[in-house]
Amino acid sequence: MTEPVAKAKTGVTRRLSNALVAFLVVQSLAAVFFVGDVIGDLIADPGSTHFITEALVTLVLVMGVVFGAVALRRTVEQMQAQQTALAVASGALAEVIGAQFAAWGLPPAERDVGFLALKGLDVAGIAALREAAQGTVRAQLTRIYAKAGVSGRAQFAAFFVEDLLGQGLPVDPA
Amino acid sequence: MAAPFRTQADEAGAIQPVRLWDPVIRLTHWGIALMVLANAVLTEGGSRIHVWAGWAGLALLLLRLVWGLVGTAEARFSAFPPNPAAALRHLVRLARGRVEEYPGHNPAGAAMAYALWATLAVLMASGIWMTGGKSPMQLDAQRAAVAAGDWSVMVAEDRRDDDKALGDAVEEVHEVAGNLILFLVLLHLVGVVAESRALRRNLVLPMLFGPRE
Repeated sequence: MTEPVAKAKTGVTRRLSNALVAFLVVQSLAAVFFVGDVIGDLIADPGSTHFITEALVTLVLVMGVVFGAVALRRTVEQMQAQQTALAVASGALAEVIGAQFAAWGLPPAERDVGFLALKGLDVAGIAALREAAQGTVRAQLTRIYAKAGVSGRAQFAAFFVEDLLGQGLPVDPA
Repeated sequence: MAAPFRTQADEAGAIQPVRLWDPVIRLTHWGIALMVLANAVLTEGGSRIHVWAGWAGLALLLLRLVWGLVGTAEARFSAFPPNPAAALRHLVRLARGRVEEYPGHNPAGAAMAYALWATLAVLMASGIWMTGGKSPMQLDAQRAAVAAGDWSVMVAEDRRDDDKALGDAVEEVHEVAGNLILFLVLLHLVGVVAESRALRRNLVLPMLFGPRE
């Protein structure tokens, strides 16, 4: 549910970090060849403007490599933090759902069925997983929808999606 | 539900850290590997492309060393300080098939990384010495000058190379280091295979593709 958004976000950061790495490698190559050239010039003619200019350019380039590396580290760490946040967020969502199930007074069996339904399993799938008859699962789902005050599966799922869209849970769920 | 810190468990139930390796580590690793392979097997020693490849490898090595100071947690030297005693202990455990999980380099892998870097440094320093400290661009310019009939650069070259014994010694060092790095690479491959078997997971994939989604 939030996952596509968060995934897209990490995707952007990943592309950014890949671009930064490519840039950093090209920069390092340029810096090393320039440093080699500057050392050659230093041996040949240390006082010339040519040498001083080139040495300055090279110094800036080397500093650019270091700063680029620091920026890249931040990006990579940010990417890892986003992944962790995503995992925590999906854990937190499960908690929110669990609390709402409790508020509706669902017994443990109905909570399990509710979770599985939210995960997108159909009646046959839930029945197979819980080793129960399809009729039982159908009856449990009907009771869940009644307690939640929703018309069916779509509205049931929408109840939690709404929360993720940033408008919060309705004050009176029933 | 989902644990806050993601780990992946394979069929054997082994926990696999998901964060290895960062893009700079991967790129410098394979870049330098490619350079070593090219200069050991494909290019002719002292040829134009051999020198260019060596300098490109030098750039990647320096980038990796900078990354070891300012990079990600697993890339920094402080995360895997050289510790020969721990490396030996790890190898003994590996021989018994009972290895521990490390969040980054294991002690033996760390020792291998430092050995490879030191050998690369010797290789590159001796190589640069052999080309008179000239960058590939300067060597190209010199070649062009000679081709155009200006032989004066060759004279300067001869004068600098009068210490022939030292030059020969450096050349010897370059060759020995070149053979040593191939031996280390072989050892590294054996280590990766042994470690992968002991941990029951593929250690090459994270180095190729990085952390799994």
